[in-house]
Amino acid sequence: MVDLSRRHFIKILGLGSLAFAPGCDSRPEKNLFSYVQAPEDMVTGKATWYASTCRECPAGCGLLAKNKEGRVIKVEGNPLHPVNLGKLCMRGQAAVQGVYHPDRIRRPLLKQKDGWKALSFEEAETLLRSKIDEAVRKAENRVHLITEAVGQTLSNLFDEALKNWKSRPPHIFEPFAYEALKTANQKVFGVDGLASYKMEEADFLLSFGADFLETWLSPVEYGRKFKQSHAVHGRQKGFFAHVSPYQSLTGANADLWLSCNPDTEIVIGLGLLRGALQSGNRKSLPSDLTEALQDISSPFTKEKVVELSGVDPDLFARLIARLLKAAKPLVLGTGTGASGANNLRVNMAANLLNALLDPGLTLLDFAHRHSVEKAAKRSEAIALFEKLGHSPEGVLLLNNVNPVFSIPSSDAVAKVFKQDTLFTVSFANFMDETAQLANLIFPVSLPLETWDEYSGTTGIVSAVQPAMAGLTGSPRLGDLFLRLAHGGPAKNFQEYLSLRLSASGLLKDRMDWVHMLQEGGLFRNIPSEAPALQWISAEEVRSAFRRLSFPKPADFTFVAAPSLRFFDGRGANRPWLCEVPDPLTKVAWQSPVSIHPKTLREQGLKQGDVVELKSSWGTLEAPVYETQDTLPGVLVLSLGQGHELFGRYAEGMGVNPAKLLPPETEPLTGSPQFSTKLASLRATGRSIALAHTDGSRVQHGRKIAVSVDLAELGKEKKEKKGLGMWDFPLVLPLPEGYDKKRDVYPPHDHNTYRWAMVVDLDRCTGCNACAAACYAENNIGIVGPDRIREGREMAWLSIERYLDEETMKKVTFLPMLCQHCDNAPCESVCPVYAPHHSKEGLNNQIYNRCIGTRFCSQNCPYKVRRFNWFDWKWPKPLNLQLNPDVTVRSKGVMEKCSFCVQRIKEAHGRAKDEKRDIRDGEIQPACVQTCPTGALVFGNLMDPNSRARKKVDDARAYQVLGYLNTKPAVFYLKKVVQEI
Amino acid sequence: MSGLTYSQIDQTVLDTLRPASLRYWAVIVLMFFGILLGAGCWAYQIGVGIGVGGQSIPVAWGTYLINFVFWVGIAHSGTLISAILHLFRAAWRNPIARAAETMTVFAVCVAGLFPFIHLGRIWIVYYILPYPNDRNLWPNFQSPLVFDVIAISTYLMVSSLFWYTGMLPDLAIVRDRATGLRKRIFHILSLGWTGRFEEWRHYTRAYLFFAALATPLVISVHSVVSWDFALGIVPGWHSTIFAPYFVAGAIHSGLAMVLTLMIPMRTIFRYEVFITKDILDNIAKTIVFTGLIVGYAYAIEYFLAWYSHNIVEQESFRWRAAGEYSLAFWVMVICNSVVPLLFFIRKVRRSIPWLFGISILINIGMWSERFVIIIGGVAHDFMPNAWGTYSPTIIEYGVLVGSFCLFFFLFLLFVKHMPSVSMTEMKESVHKGVGHAL
Amino acid sequence: MLSEKQVIGLFKDENLAASAIESMAGCPWQLRGVNSPFPSERIMKAMKAGKSRVGHFTLAGGIIGFLSGVSLAAYTSLQWSLIVSGKPVVALIPYLIVGFEFTILFAVFGNIVGLITQTRLPEYRSVSTYDPRCSGEYFGVLASCAEGNQDALLAFFKEKGGEARFL
Repeated sequence: MVDLSRRHFIKILGLGSLAFAPGCDSRPEKNLFSYVQAPEDMVTGKATWYASTCRECPAGCGLLAKNKEGRVIKVEGNPLHPVNLGKLCMRGQAAVQGVYHPDRIRRPLLKQKDGWKALSFEEAETLLRSKIDEAVRKAENRVHLITEAVGQTLSNLFDEALKNWKSRPPHIFEPFAYEALKTANQKVFGVDGLASYKMEEADFLLSFGADFLETWLSPVEYGRKFKQSHAVHGRQKGFFAHVSPYQSLTGANADLWLSCNPDTEIVIGLGLLRGALQSGNRKSLPSDLTEALQDISSPFTKEKVVELSGVDPDLFARLIARLLKAAKPLVLGTGTGASGANNLRVNMAANLLNALLDPGLTLLDFAHRHSVEKAAKRSEAIALFEKLGHSPEGVLLLNNVNPVFSIPSSDAVAKVFKQDTLFTVSFANFMDETAQLANLIFPVSLPLETWDEYSGTTGIVSAVQPAMAGLTGSPRLGDLFLRLAHGGPAKNFQEYLSLRLSASGLLKDRMDWVHMLQEGGLFRNIPSEAPALQWISAEEVRSAFRRLSFPKPADFTFVAAPSLRFFDGRGANRPWLCEVPDPLTKVAWQSPVSIHPKTLREQGLKQGDVVELKSSWGTLEAPVYETQDTLPGVLVLSLGQGHELFGRYAEGMGVNPAKLLPPETEPLTGSPQFSTKLASLRATGRSIALAHTDGSRVQHGRKIAVSVDLAELGKEKKEKKGLGMWDFPLVLPLPEGYDKKRDVYPPHDHNTYRWAMVVDLDRCTGCNACAAACYAENNIGIVGPDRIREGREMAWLSIERYLDEETMKKVTFLPMLCQHCDNAPCESVCPVYAPHHSKEGLNNQIYNRCIGTRFCSQNCPYKVRRFNWFDWKWPKPLNLQLNPDVTVRSKGVMEKCSFCVQRIKEAHGRAKDEKRDIRDGEIQPACVQTCPTGALVFGNLMDPNSRARKKVDDARAYQVLGYLNTKPAVFYLKKVVQEI
Repeated sequence: MSGLTYSQIDQTVLDTLRPASLRYWAVIVLMFFGILLGAGCWAYQIGVGIGVGGQSIPVAWGTYLINFVFWVGIAHSGTLISAILHLFRAAWRNPIARAAETMTVFAVCVAGLFPFIHLGRIWIVYYILPYPNDRNLWPNFQSPLVFDVIAISTYLMVSSLFWYTGMLPDLAIVRDRATGLRKRIFHILSLGWTGRFEEWRHYTRAYLFFAALATPLVISVHSVVSWDFALGIVPGWHSTIFAPYFVAGAIHSGLAMVLTLMIPMRTIFRYEVFITKDILDNIAKTIVFTGLIVGYAYAIEYFLAWYSHNIVEQESFRWRAAGEYSLAFWVMVICNSVVPLLFFIRKVRRSIPWLFGISILINIGMWSERFVIIIGGVAHDFMPNAWGTYSPTIIEYGVLVGSFCLFFFLFLLFVKHMPSVSMTEMKESVHKGVGHAL
Repeated sequence: MLSEKQVIGLFKDENLAASAIESMAGCPWQLRGVNSPFPSERIMKAMKAGKSRVGHFTLAGGIIGFLSGVSLAAYTSLQWSLIVSGKPVVALIPYLIVGFEFTILFAVFGNIVGLITQTRLPEYRSVSTYDPRCSGEYFGVLASCAEGNQDALLAFFKEKGGEARFL
């Protein structure tokens, strides 16, 4: 049961159902009119929250959209939603920027010789209908639909429509379709689907590259579950080992990153199988199967494994030991972007390991499978395109897919769109690589403006409802299809949806519907049982693992890594996602290629040099980023950028690594290949400055991002207090934090509240959701790559990334924001009192008073203050997203984190109305609200029972550079590390 | 000096006020265009935003404040020479006092511009002044920047009054020798001074108090400037030696600038009779002294960093000498504390080319000292993740050029139209070796 | 009543001028004033002049300055009582700096006021009744005598080693 804080309760109360309300208009008014009869859910100056579902990736997190004066200004996670329990990733946060994107297509566009001709929606619909009728009249199977993963209801409608049009069912295209994982499940368990994993119950987690903190299946959900087991509880802490050639954010969060040669994960998997069998874990499986496993794994002795995979023998030995010691181990397969000849086998090995070590597969949940399993395999997609290429007849409908960008090296795809006998219609809101090749671009309303239903996993129904009136007046895709090809009673798609849900017995009456909309979906008692498992036969095991082939190690293996920020590229036009730097490289806007220093030395390259990467399928140029996150010879470039089209923020930013990838799919699984051998790596002689936000990568032995060994935990003896960096005591920003021996000036009191934050470094995964949420909540300016290069990024909260000085591999993430010091150095130096100490301990910054001497920033030891060097731009209609509760700062003004003072004020108002004090947890700054792992806690230090105050007493608690005695109100809990 | 008669003194000085050559006016016009250039850059910055400069986070202060400190430093030795040496009755001050004071006044004017240029929102700069307003908002008198406002404006007022008062008898002399319009102008400027003995009686007294007040002021003003940094917690700034260190540095640069100005002047205006080699020699000796103090400060900063066992301080100073800005650092050390040691050699002290060359080097050295301190401190302070660098932009250079042009524009206009050596005090020197004294 | 005649004696040397002044005592003519190109102790002695009072103004200015400086700082910070950097609202140490600068400023103002009031400058009339050479190299001694004595006065100055002329 989720704890339902008052704030969320209020929200849910506020969720007036649009089923009755006329909705609100988003067109900015010249004059202000007051309603004679205001709609119940529309009070000027008061936010209305609508529960819906995030459609930025197939995970399908629940969200609450904050609507003010008819405009959605922010989205937050829906606390009632089982997938994300109120949290969102940065991509979810950026959903609103899709709605208000300045380059959004507002009218249907028809391609003609002399360019695009704008049509009215009616004209476009008539044209579309006539084209379809014409196609249907000619012959069968003349209407083709390629769509992203959609909800059951819409997919039903698609099927129905296509049946009416005597055509095949739609083709669901997702660039990340987890073919290998699916096939492995199919082969080992006889389930052609994607189980969800009960990570929270595992005490030992081993992943063969599954990047579950970035894009894999459902990142927010798994981020949370991961930390449920991996965050330290008392003296306990789950162990996580990550096996892969390159680190990735997920690997950076592992206790052990076991780096192995590309495509040799399988030997480690088999080595572990061998170990598991030897240790006598055989009862759980039928004997013949165990024997088969015995046979296939027996060759993989420790020596063999080390020889083939190049892992550290010692570490590998300890990994086996640890794995066998574990009470509830869980083994995950390969990552979203995994590929290679052995990809399938690795996933099968993972499944078999789970079967061996976890009899009854208690940690695999087949009852709640990820809906993205419905997506077709890449091989099928290629096949479809080839077929269309051969017989380019009829109409091709594209729903929110961009194959031209995702499969740039395939001629098949390009060929299809060149045929003028095939009338291509793209329901796109942005002119992207695919849309520009279509004959007709028919923009439809975006998820935040439409009725739909999308359930990220089986066993729930997650509602999508309009949180605002359509900005462009585009029709809803569902309504459009209803009009085009529905015989049934439903007048519109909303009705179609409710009818379907009632028909399937999920809705009894109108009230159920209202409740569904209020809670964001139907999450309880929905029948969904796991299919019966059909175990793999011994024969299949033998055949599957017969003749393992290992690619002979190439000089350069190129990997296109799925991106935390852009997913498959669909996020690349969101300014926030471009501006917030990559958590590992700290590079924003650009997509450099990560290369190991050793390789760089050999090639005589250095960071920033632009290199030409050539493969058999393409060539591209990218700047070099020097890092130890990858093995020598393994070049990693993240997917998502390098759009030729896709709006001003995406065009010309970074490069598209897919250009180097082979279009062919892997025979065994039909999955795309995200890595390939490089034909050549050549310096172009040019060199550029990377737009990175970090200065030094290490902390020079300073007390900044501190970690403690699990073994040492709690044993720290109370060392004598001194005035040095390391022996300075933790001092509360309260009167008791003052001491004659340390303080010249007497303490000062606060008024009922002393706001503070506690950051648990052991929980922070560096996912940057907080940073994006901060941009969204506080109207923070977007400065672009050039300004970032000049050190002028505006992030109020940034995740500082510190590397361990010996290995330069181990990473500690440190969310750094204004520390709201009790003795803030920034305050006294200001000649005009622009920064000063509030009665509740906040470090206020009065924008109107600031004259821009910038002394405060100079004197801030944490360098968290940001200055408006110019007037930042919000091209229309992006300005409609601005939060009306937060001032937009003009040039020449200093700004910084305010602990979301607007939310504090709101809570004050509410508490005053109800004649009470503000409750603990009632105020959640944007960052705290969205943190998927709950690493941030905000509260009142003067309340001895507040969560924040309690955490301050934790033995791990410390203050960054506390010895400066500024008495920061942001406390950090040391990261707990462990050796295997 | 004693060989001079009173009328010779008058004549030499009054000769400098003869109608100027075309070459002179050409230079004046050139300077004026330099000023326009600087003003243009500033206007552009106000329109577009302070970002046209090179500042960023962490280095939010750039050349504007470097120039500010630099010019304030220049402004120091003028009043110092005039006031302290007056109190000490050092006769060698008299020939250079007037020009030095002039340098002070104009340098303060130029310096005073830079905090304005530096501001993000110049259009509301008056927020920093304690003026009554209906919101009853006042400046923060705990802020070093408010100290600055008070100190610099006080310094400007005091040194200009000191300067004008000192000039009064000379204005009368010009009045008595001039004709036509100039006579009328100087008639007004000289306030009807006739050298009556009552006038002298109060005048000498008042002048003594002036000197007595100006001397501590000089010390305090640059101490206050140093506290703009020392009151911050930034490593490399937060140091108790800053006040004396800055004052010494200011005098150092001021004396150097005096040489830079005097040496051309004495040849152009044939002032060799007044500004003798002995005087230049004395200045050079003082420069050795200040140079040693400055050098000591450089050394002691490193000692303190080492002795403190504070790794932040230590890294900051290691980087200062070996990091991105090590060039500026070594220029600073060599020009300010090594090169001046040449003045131990009498030949060098008395050789015009050497004096001039070294004075230029010291000016450069002192500018880089301010660069090292102001940029170096914050570029590499507490949070390694925030470390960054800074380089000035074309706009900032434009403003820099403009400021020099403005200074020379004013200075050149003065020396050609006002008595640039105090005739009265010269006469006193001839008479009994001191000035404005009873 | 007989009208008065004014005679000015010009001396190149301050000692001659001084002795002339001294020996003027007990003569039928009165000393009206002395103009010198620079302050001369010798003459001051001869005139038996007392100490100037400019100092009192300076001192008063200084005291006023210090008080007003500190009180301004204290008063204004008490208006909103904002806490900065955990320091007391009225923090004395920084206010001493303000006080000091105000002291100097007001003392100098006092000094100027003193100078103006004591010397009665600006005052342009006396310029007409003095010899411009006095700003150059001459010490001018201005004396007046009754009608008829003027030649004797002229003679007196000449005998004292200076030149003399009627005004």
